[in-house]
Amino acid sequence: MTRTRIWTGAAAALALTAAVAGCSGGGEDDGPVELTFWHGYSEADGDVLEEIVADFNASHDDITIDTELKTWDSIDDTLLTALSAGEGPGLVAMPAERLPVYASKGAFASLDDFYADEASNTANLVPGAVEMEEVEGEKFGVPSGFVPLAVYYNTALFEAGGVDEFPQTWDEWVEAAKRLTVDEDGDGTPEQYGVVLPDHATVANGLWPSLFYGNGGGIVDGGEAVIDSPENAETLEFWSGAIAADQISPTGVDGIGADELFSGGKAAMTVGGPWMASIATENGIDYAIAPLPAGPAEQAASAIGVSMAVTVDTSRAEQAAAEEFLSFFLNEENSVKWSLGSGWPPLRTDIPAEAVAENPVVASLTEIAATGRPLLPGVVNSVDVLSAVDELTQRAVAGEDVDALLAEAQAEVQAALED
Amino acid sequence: MSADHPPVRRYRPPAPLGGRRRATGSPAGRNTKALLFLAPALIVLGLFVVWPMISALRLSFTDASGFGREEWVGLENYAAVFTDPDILNAVTNTVLYTVLFTPTAVIAALGLALLLNSPRMPFRSFFRTALFVPFVVSFAVAAFAWSYLIDPQVGLVNYWLRGMGIRMGNVLEDPTWAMPMVAFVAVWKLFGFYFVIFLAGLQDIPNSLYEAARMDGAGPWSRLRNITLPMLSNTMAFVLVFATIAALQAFDQIYVMTGGGPYGNTQTVVMEIYESGFRKLDIGFASALSYVLLVATLILSLVQFVFFGRREKDLS
Repeated sequence: MTRTRIWTGAAAALALTAAVAGCSGGGEDDGPVELTFWHGYSEADGDVLEEIVADFNASHDDITIDTELKTWDSIDDTLLTALSAGEGPGLVAMPAERLPVYASKGAFASLDDFYADEASNTANLVPGAVEMEEVEGEKFGVPSGFVPLAVYYNTALFEAGGVDEFPQTWDEWVEAAKRLTVDEDGDGTPEQYGVVLPDHATVANGLWPSLFYGNGGGIVDGGEAVIDSPENAETLEFWSGAIAADQISPTGVDGIGADELFSGGKAAMTVGGPWMASIATENGIDYAIAPLPAGPAEQAASAIGVSMAVTVDTSRAEQAAAEEFLSFFLNEENSVKWSLGSGWPPLRTDIPAEAVAENPVVASLTEIAATGRPLLPGVVNSVDVLSAVDELTQRAVAGEDVDALLAEAQAEVQAALED
Repeated sequence: MSADHPPVRRYRPPAPLGGRRRATGSPAGRNTKALLFLAPALIVLGLFVVWPMISALRLSFTDASGFGREEWVGLENYAAVFTDPDILNAVTNTVLYTVLFTPTAVIAALGLALLLNSPRMPFRSFFRTALFVPFVVSFAVAAFAWSYLIDPQVGLVNYWLRGMGIRMGNVLEDPTWAMPMVAFVAVWKLFGFYFVIFLAGLQDIPNSLYEAARMDGAGPWSRLRNITLPMLSNTMAFVLVFATIAALQAFDQIYVMTGGGPYGNTQTVVMEIYESGFRKLDIGFASALSYVLLVATLILSLVQFVFFGRREKDLS
């Protein structure tokens, strides 16, 4: 009996191994096409996306798209292993600054021919959004979101602080923030901050470039590091002074910490994207949206972008099906629907603000959509560039010597670009 | 034993209950049987440990990204490991983490094991269980829990400290305190395991040694120094090697709590492996770095074993 049992066990183990090995199979070129689509839209935006996908499936007999909701982080964590195992999705959405590294490693199919086709509905896309999709002159994605960072402010706190008009320049911004900063018990730590400016990660990765642009500076230009400039030095001195000396913002905060302070009514202004609107509503905070106040040189804002790409884990038929979906997603009707439902401004310049007027958040974001600049478009090693900028801004805000920090950041960014 | 020696009565361990079973069958048949019994474990080990290790070794000589199209690059990745300034930073951080974590965890475990080995200690079983519980919790869960506990806005620890007039601030964003904090979470999480090992080691020390020492007038300190610690040196070697390996592989709580920040101050070697592999999609480099870490860990463990092994020999 024992022997039989052992052999049965061994056979079962072998069968299991064979089954695991047999799991990975390629797609077929004939017949109906099934395509998996990974995305991280989990709120109202997710519902609208599901609707658009359902409409697409209903109108296409031979194509079925299955969406798979994951967190944005887990998409990034699992895409590599899934693709290398031949188990990857056909379509994937991801934060736009993550696209170049995957594209440069050959994970995504080129979409140059798709863009060249008039039926793709890509002709009128916001130029900054398309710029996010380009790596070494070739396009590898289609934008599903592009929105400049904006200021979300607590109107009740503005009223209580006697600030009637939203600031238009940096000086006015700092002035207003000072008036809205309250240290009731006089212990040197304000109970309410005028503004919360994160100094690292997520939103900070967009905020500080925005501030650099506002004073005529930048991070990367034409594939070269340009971060060590007198303009950026001025910017850092100005803002670290306002944050450290005037205490208009807490230090050492990231985007999530900023969201918490704003939703808790402990900060009068925050910088963020459309999700702030729903966070504010959920927490019963009356808010309004305004563009980032203009810097000495210009009004500019870094944009948060999401890209959709077709992976190399697809047969020719699947690729064609994916492109079919992308053009469907970008048609006029769906562009408006997606924008209204997701709260992000329309991706097409030929859709006027009136078309989305019924959603006031979208309407106000649409007005400033043109000021958005893509974050590090085409930069393959954005990880190291952003961590160099993180280090720069955190240490500058902590009061370290700005010139030395900029020189260090310049070297790191340049090294990352040459990587 | 040759026949001209007088017969010596030797200690023989008692046979297990139910009597000792005689091995049946030919030696070859027994080997096959043994292999069959080992097969499930061997298959799992082979599939999930040995094969990935061989693959990683091969990948470390390529520019693989995980999507095919990989080219042989020779020792390029290894050269990069030894010249990259980020790696130097990660190594420095890992050494600092190891120095913070290993002695703290081992001393805490040993101290508490000594305390709870004493029969005079009330609620011994309760404390023993309680101290082991953190080890059962998953590292990620522990890290999330601690992140909340020490959160400057909503954290309980901060709340209590504020009651005592102490302001802790945002520890995880503080370049000086972030590393001690993540090391502390690892101590809290892992020392229960070392504690149990020490406890087992303590219970293996024959009581007669202590009785003899007591008769010779040895005080508690002298008994600890001359009996307990030397008799524990094997256990100590094991625990130290384990704790050091755990420290060199620090990742989970750092990934959850600081993500390597503030500005790279908690970026350890394994964090760097993760970032190179899964963020920069440079699997070749990540594999090379993994192998360098593996060899370094191996050398360090061997040195520790040799060092403590010698002490053991000196004792006998």
